[in-house]
This record gives sequence, C-alpha cells and structure tokens, in this order.
Amino acid sequence: MRLHPLTSLAAAGSTAAITTAAASLPLSLAVMGAAVVLSARGGTARRLLPAAAAVLLPLGLSLLVMHGLFFPEGRTVLAQWGVARVTAEGLVFALERTAQLGAVVLALLAFSFSVSVPDLVAVLSSRGVHGRFAFVLASTLTLLPAITSRVERIRQAQESRGLVVRRGLHRAAAFRLQAVPLVLSLIEDAGTRTAALEARGFSNPGPRTSYRDVPDPILQRVLRAVLLGAAAAAVAARLLLTPAGS
Amino acid sequence: MSPSLTLPAPAPAAARKRRLLEILGAAAIAATYIYLVLNQPADITGGPGSASALIALSGFLVGAILLIVAVLPALPASTVVLIPVALVLNIVLGQFVGSTLVPFYLDAIGTVLIAVLAGPAAGAATGALSSIVWSFFNPTVLPFAAGAALIGCLAGLAARHGMFRRFYLAPVAGFVTGIIGGVVSAPVAAFVFGGTSGVATGAIVSAFRSMGDTLLAAITKQALISDPMDKAIVFTVVAVLAYALPRRARLQYPFVRRHRVLAGTSPEQGS
Amino acid sequence: MSTTHSTQTQPILSAGIRSFTYFGDDASVLEGIDLNLVPGTFTAILGASGSGKSTLGRLLSGWLPPRTGGTLRGFLELAGTRLDFGGDREPRINPAEWGRQVGFVPQDPAAVLTTVRATVAEELAFGLENAAMERPAMKAAVERTAALLGLMELLERNPASLSGGQLRRLAIGCAIIAGPRVLIMDEPFASLDSAGTAGLARLLQDLLKLGTAVVVLSQVVDTPLLDAGTWVVLENGGVTGNGTPAELQAGSGLLPPGIRASGGEPAPAGDHPGAVHADTLLPRSGAGVPALELRGVSFGYSAGGKEAQPRNMRRRDLGGKAAGSGLVLQGINVRIQSGEILAVTGPNGAGKSTLLRHLNGLLRPTEGSVLVHGRDIAGVPPGEAARSVGLLFQQPRDQLFERTALREVRFGLDRLFHPDEAPSRAMEALSAVGLAEAAHTHPAELPASGQRLLALATVLARKPSVLALDEPTVALDGGGLALLDAAVRSAAGEGAAVVLVSHDLDYARAAAHRVVMLDGGRLDG
Repeated sequence: MRLHPLTSLAAAGSTAAITTAAASLPLSLAVMGAAVVLSARGGTARRLLPAAAAVLLPLGLSLLVMHGLFFPEGRTVLAQWGVARVTAEGLVFALERTAQLGAVVLALLAFSFSVSVPDLVAVLSSRGVHGRFAFVLASTLTLLPAITSRVERIRQAQESRGLVVRRGLHRAAAFRLQAVPLVLSLIEDAGTRTAALEARGFSNPGPRTSYRDVPDPILQRVLRAVLLGAAAAAVAARLLLTPAGS
Repeated sequence: MSPSLTLPAPAPAAARKRRLLEILGAAAIAATYIYLVLNQPADITGGPGSASALIALSGFLVGAILLIVAVLPALPASTVVLIPVALVLNIVLGQFVGSTLVPFYLDAIGTVLIAVLAGPAAGAATGALSSIVWSFFNPTVLPFAAGAALIGCLAGLAARHGMFRRFYLAPVAGFVTGIIGGVVSAPVAAFVFGGTSGVATGAIVSAFRSMGDTLLAAITKQALISDPMDKAIVFTVVAVLAYALPRRARLQYPFVRRHRVLAGTSPEQGS
Repeated sequence: MSTTHSTQTQPILSAGIRSFTYFGDDASVLEGIDLNLVPGTFTAILGASGSGKSTLGRLLSGWLPPRTGGTLRGFLELAGTRLDFGGDREPRINPAEWGRQVGFVPQDPAAVLTTVRATVAEELAFGLENAAMERPAMKAAVERTAALLGLMELLERNPASLSGGQLRRLAIGCAIIAGPRVLIMDEPFASLDSAGTAGLARLLQDLLKLGTAVVVLSQVVDTPLLDAGTWVVLENGGVTGNGTPAELQAGSGLLPPGIRASGGEPAPAGDHPGAVHADTLLPRSGAGVPALELRGVSFGYSAGGKEAQPRNMRRRDLGGKAAGSGLVLQGINVRIQSGEILAVTGPNGAGKSTLLRHLNGLLRPTEGSVLVHGRDIAGVPPGEAARSVGLLFQQPRDQLFERTALREVRFGLDRLFHPDEAPSRAMEALSAVGLAEAAHTHPAELPASGQRLLALATVLARKPSVLALDEPTVALDGGGLALLDAAVRSAAGEGAAVVLVSHDLDYARAAAHRVVMLDGGRLDG
C-alpha cells in the first residue's frame, strides 16, 4: 500500500511525540531500530544513515563529554581527574538523552527521506492555507542542489578571471567574492520568479486544483486520526502525571 | 471580466484577525519561556525530564506556528519567493559552520537579510520557517523555531530604526539581538537536549558545569558567549551584502523605501 | 510575409506611456511611447541594450506593475479596460488576470520556473491549478500546449534537467497555456542555433494563425523578424521609428547602429560590425612556439575524465555528449599563434563550452595535453593559468562583485602591476570597452551588453596572452559587438592569441582569421 504523505507525516510526528513523552530508554532504542529497519526496507537507508550520523554523532559526543565528565548532581563517582568526575548518573543521563533524541531524529528523517516531496506539496497546496508553506518547503528543496552548482559556476568564472579563490586570497575576502554574486543573482532571479508566479495566479485567493493525483483512502484517514489521538493522549498523560515543578 | 484586472483594497477585518494570531503566537512563546524559567524544573538533570521538554517543545512550536499562520498569508509574493532563497543561505552556511569546530552558528544570514529587506514580520516568519524546513534534514533544529523567529523580528526592528544606516551600528544591533535570542533559546537546549548540539559549544557548557552551575545556567552563559558574537558577525555580513545590492534591487522592497533602511536610498517618492 | 490584417483591427492591448521611472532613479527609462497591438499581428520592438525594451515588455505584460517597481505616467488598455496611472487614485494591476490575457517570456527562461513542480507537465499546469481548472480539462490543455511546442516526450522530465532550448520552449508553454491574446517575448532567439530559431519561428506563425498578437523584443534583427508586420524602433526609452520592415531595413538609416543585423541574413562583410580585414591583420605566421596548442585532447565525463572539480558540475551547462563514444571531445589538435584570431563554431551541444574550459584547466583532458606557450598546463590551477589565459563566460554576473565598474576592473591589479600603475590600467581597460563614463555605476545596473563588456574589461586589464570568449554575440548589441571586436583586434594586434566560441557561423567568419567547426566532439576545417 502506498502511504499518503500526510499519513507518513502523522506516523513520524506521533512517534516522535510519544517517544519524548514516554522518556523510556527501551522504547527509544526500539523506535531507533524500527526507523532504521523501515528505511532499509524502503531503500532509503543509504541516505538516511549518513544524515542521521551527521546530526547525532556530534550531539551524542557533546552530551557524553558534557555529562560524562561534568555532572555536579552525580553521586556515584566512577573516576575522577581534577575537576572532571565521571559519574554513573551523568553517563546514564547522556545515554538516555541521546537515545531519546536519536529516536526522534531517526523517525522524522525516515519520513523526510521516504516521502515524495511532489506528492506532499500537491497535498498541502490543495489544502488552502498551506499553499505558501508548501511553496517555501519545495522551493527550498529545489534550490539547495541548484545553489551548489551555482557556487561552483561562480568560482570557475572568478578563477578564469585570474582570482585564485582556493588559495592565496584571504578566506573572508574569498567569501565576499563568491557571496556577493551569489546573493545578487539569487535576489534577481527571485524578482523574475515573483513576476512569473504572480502572472500565473500564485496569489489567487480562490480555491485551487491539483494536476497530480494523490489518492487518500479512507483507511489512512482513520489511521491518521488514531495516530494523532495517541500522540495527544501520551503528551497529556505525561503532563498530568508529572507533578508540577518536579 | 473588466473590473477584475485590478486588485481591490485590502480588507481591514482580515488584518485584525492576523494581528490577533501574531499576538497569540508571541504570547505563547513568552508564556512558555516565563514558565520554564520561573519553575526551573528540578527534573532537568534528575528524572526523565520529559514533562519540561514537552512544555518547551509544544509551547515554542505552537507559538512559532501561530506566527507563521499569521504572517505568511499576508506577505507580498515578492517576499514569499525570497524566503526559500534565505532558507537555502541559512541551511548551507549553518550546516557548514556547524560541522566545524567554531563555537558559532552563522545560520541566520538569510533570515536577517529578509528582515532587513522586508521587515520584522517577514523576518519572524522566515526564522520560524527556516527551523521547520531545515528540520527536514536535521530535526534537532526544530525546537529552536521560536528563537529563530525572535532573531528575525529583532533584526527587522533594528533595520526599521536605522541600525543598518551606519555600518558600525549593525554589529552592535547584532550583539544586542544575540543576547536576547541566546537567553530565550537556552531553555530549549537545556530542557529538550540536555545540552548543546555542537562539540565546540558543548565544551563551553562543560567548562561552566565543572564550576558547579546548573545545566540551564551553564547553557545560558554559553549562549551569552556564543550568540552575541555570532549575531554581530551575521549582521555585519548582511550589511555587506545589502550594500552590495544595486539600488534598483534594494528599492523594490517597500519596507526599504518606507523606512529608509539603508543609507543613500532616498525615501519613497510620491505615495 | 505572412501577416494578414484580418477584419479585426481593434487593438487588444494599447499603451500610452508618458514616462516610466524606477524608484530612486532621477531619469525616466521610458518616455512618449504609444503602442497598439492588434490580434493576429506580429510586432517587433527593436532596440539596443539599455534602450528600455525589457522594461517596456514587463510593463505591458503586468510583470512590472506600476507602483511596485517605479512610477508610470500614462495609461494601459487591455481588452477594452483602460487603466490610467499617475493620478491620485492609482489602480493596482491584478497580475493574475492580466497574465491570462498577456503572456510574457523573459530573457532568462530558467527564472520563470516555479521551482516547486516536479515534472514539465505539472510546471505547465501550475497556472491552471491556481485558476482551479478541473483535472481532465487541465490534462487536455497540457497535452495541447506540449504538442504545439514539441514537448510531448519531455512531459515527465524534471524541469531542472532540461537544456537551454527546451527550457525556452517550456517558458513559452507556461505563458501560452492559458490562451493569452497577446504574447510578448524578450530576446527569444538569443543563443538559439539555426535549427532552434526555425522551430520557434514556426511556432510564432501557428500562434499568429490562432489570432494571438505576438510581440518580440530584440536587439538583433533575427531572420524571423523580417516577417513581422510592424517594427517599432526604441532608442533611449523613446520610439524613433515605426513602420514595416521594408521601410526601416538596413540602408534606410532609420535603424540605430545598436541594432545588429542577424547572422543568418548574409550581410556584406564590410558592413558587419565584426568584420576583420583579414589581409591587413594576418598574424605573423609559422615561426616560434604557438601561444596555445591542444595536442590530441579527448574528454568524456562518463569515461572517467579528470575533472578539476568532479562534484556539482551539471552536464547540461557543458554542452552535450558526442554520440556513441561517451566522449565530448575526441582527439582535438589545434595550434594558435600569437596575434591570431580563431573561431570555433558548431551547433548547440557540440561541446564548444567544454573545449573552452580546457584552455585554462577548469577541465582536464582525459587524454592529450594543453600547452600555453609550449608549457603543459596540467597541474597548474586555473587561477594561476588565468595569468596568461583570460577566459570569459557567457554569464557576466557570475564574476562581478564590486560596487562600481572601476573597482571591479581594478580588483587584483595591484598584485600584477605596480600599484601606481593599477588605476590607469583599469581606466584604460574601461575606455577600451566604452565604459569610461560608467566607471562609477554599479555593475548590476549596467545593461546586459554593458555587463559583458565590463567582464571583458576585467580580463583585458590583465593583458592575457591568450584570450578566450564564450559566445561573444549573445547579449551584446550592435554597439557592444563593435566595441568587443575593436578590443579583440587590438589585443590580437598586441600579440594575444584569441579563441572565439560561437554558434553563429557568419559572425565567426567575419570576426576571425580562421574558422574551425566542432561537431560530434571532432574538429573539422
């Protein structure tokens, strides 16, 4: 069954909310595992894992150093060098936090790497208010790869002019050399694009239709409602069950 | 057919509804911050810590989303089309700097650029959208949406009051913006992450922790070291970029014309 | 001439522009323009770069609504609705409704893409979606338009992967899918080779038969414009001539020198602004080391060609592939002496730009070597090679970053010459391309032709011994081309070897001592 983009979004979002609300290490680890397995079966693991690692490794390392070595609240001291004290509480805290964030990051990334952006945009655009948000999202995702090739073109043009950008020039100066033409051309293009979009009814107040057909079976609509309900319940339970201020 | 070739004047009722949403969004962010700081939940480093994480997350996110809903539909198309460009600048530079060992972020250049060209409301929406869209590849930036919106809003206000007319004022405005932005974002880092996401910033927090500070205090102090410098740099870079724009390109933005944001641009002619 | 004045002579779009001034400018860009566009007629608006053509086109099409970019005094009348501007209660144009009746295709077709649609079909449908057209009707409209433009095979492709010519057709499709009664195109023939030009001309005839009023803005009298019913000549923002092509054509003295004759229209060599009198300027032949030599250069992307920067290079920027072998260049041998001007021609996608990028090491040959003054440049970074090889790309805005034209040319000269010498050299280079008066203008505010000349000046100021130019005729008006030719000739006269790459064979023949043809990755001639 092909998932409607909003269904996968609801699944990822509610998984993230429930994991955060539950704050349980086994659940976090299970969610991490599930997200990796799902994306491997969907064939996106190759892109997902490096992206997740790029986010999680520095984060985990930072937390481990921060709390592993310095955790004034810790009581069970495992080792000590000068001001640095390795405490069991600190290590557990770092591990729990990393797992919890890892679960959220993997669940959301599994969504963003598997969703078909054109489908998502089509679905959002046909739903009123979200049209402009969909535009911002899709346009950013399209411009990102285009911009790297544009930076490359600018660098080539400037090297051909005799500006040795890669060495020699001071880094800040090299940044200005490339940033100014880049930003200028991006703003200029945005001006043309604005006119082109306006001429094609970008700001029309009325209803829209969508050329792309994204089926939305009733079953998935029910599933979405259930997922959102579960997430809301988990959050409410955590907030109500935790005494205020503790 | 004939009357539709021109646009009607904007309706005041819609503007009032949007104003209400803006106020609600700002109130949600402010209330969340005040609650978190006043309550100083002891469970940051003690218990599972998820209640305060949830409050920080949902309060700031709801506020940011309300701001987007209030501002985005009212922005002129020229600004909406520019927002993706700003987000790309934010993301490309932010990813790059985040991967180095510099205790800065430089992930707000696009946001501040929009704020200077199109005003505080557009800046706030851009900041919030930047975090949300960026979370597509890096979900950890999502909780900072409210802080990013605040930066955009403050940058717009600074531009409106002439802080970009003198070249030396831009870093000063950035410095002040950074102080406010850093203080507001610190609870997110503390409650949601239990730390910071970068290695360099993490080292600074560790240093304060080794002196016995609470996590929130340590992260707030770290933010007060990193953020003002970071924003001073960002504002300076944006000033360089804005003055490199040809006059015609700058003046196509009504905000720049009306408030004489940049030196050397004459105020709006005629209307 | 196929334009027939049908029974319908009521104009669909009229304009009476007393003046238009951009915000912040002191002088107006347009003044005293009266235009009437009748359905089924073909109008060419001819003017040099900077004459105000593009501004006029964008005003007529609602792409530059008065009040958002500048101040208009005068009126626009579309389909019987007259809007007066310059009074107290200015009307605000509704660009969407205006766009349904007036389509516009700007110079850079890539800039009209929404960037949010994943296929050509959806890109075409964007305007219809916003008008809430039902899906079946939308599909029919997309297919009809695609068939008209020859885009049927590309409907499922990603718009970002299209070539320049395909992009232009897509941009036209986006403009005409809603069935506008007026179509305005800005420089549609620039950078199209002869096959592309002929295809576009056929399309224009189809649209005329359907009753569309077609307007082409151009600084070159391209062959298809000879079929126009009316020519309007624009000079410095005002109309200086209005009549049939026969009345205004070359020889009548009514066309300003800034408007170039097309390459396709054989003009006597002496009249061509780029004509070199070969006998007077023949280089000292033979003896000595050639300034530039390519020895058996082959290059292929898929064949593991050593690109200097393998990442991020989009193939479509670099011309197509040679059929079959996967090699873009195959065994290229060529020698260029000091003082010689060599032109490389060939159709779009023949690999011309790829060849050019080998001259300073931006691309490295898979096989063979490139020698500058007898020295192999393998391993020399492009920025170093640029000391002797000045290479100029089509897009000037990629290399301009300073606030004034003078600072732009001066940049980095201090390190090449004595610091006291740099300012005078910069001014000299600016004068050589006719930009001395624009020394303090922002580069981005120069007209397209001026930007290319400024980029040329930045290269000339460094006195390279090899000068390589990519498509010099694109974006240059007549005056600009004459300046470029003079600058190139004087550089050659001082001993520089010059390589011109152009799809325009007639221009190449007129401007160079020697013409070689690049096709399918091989060099003939």
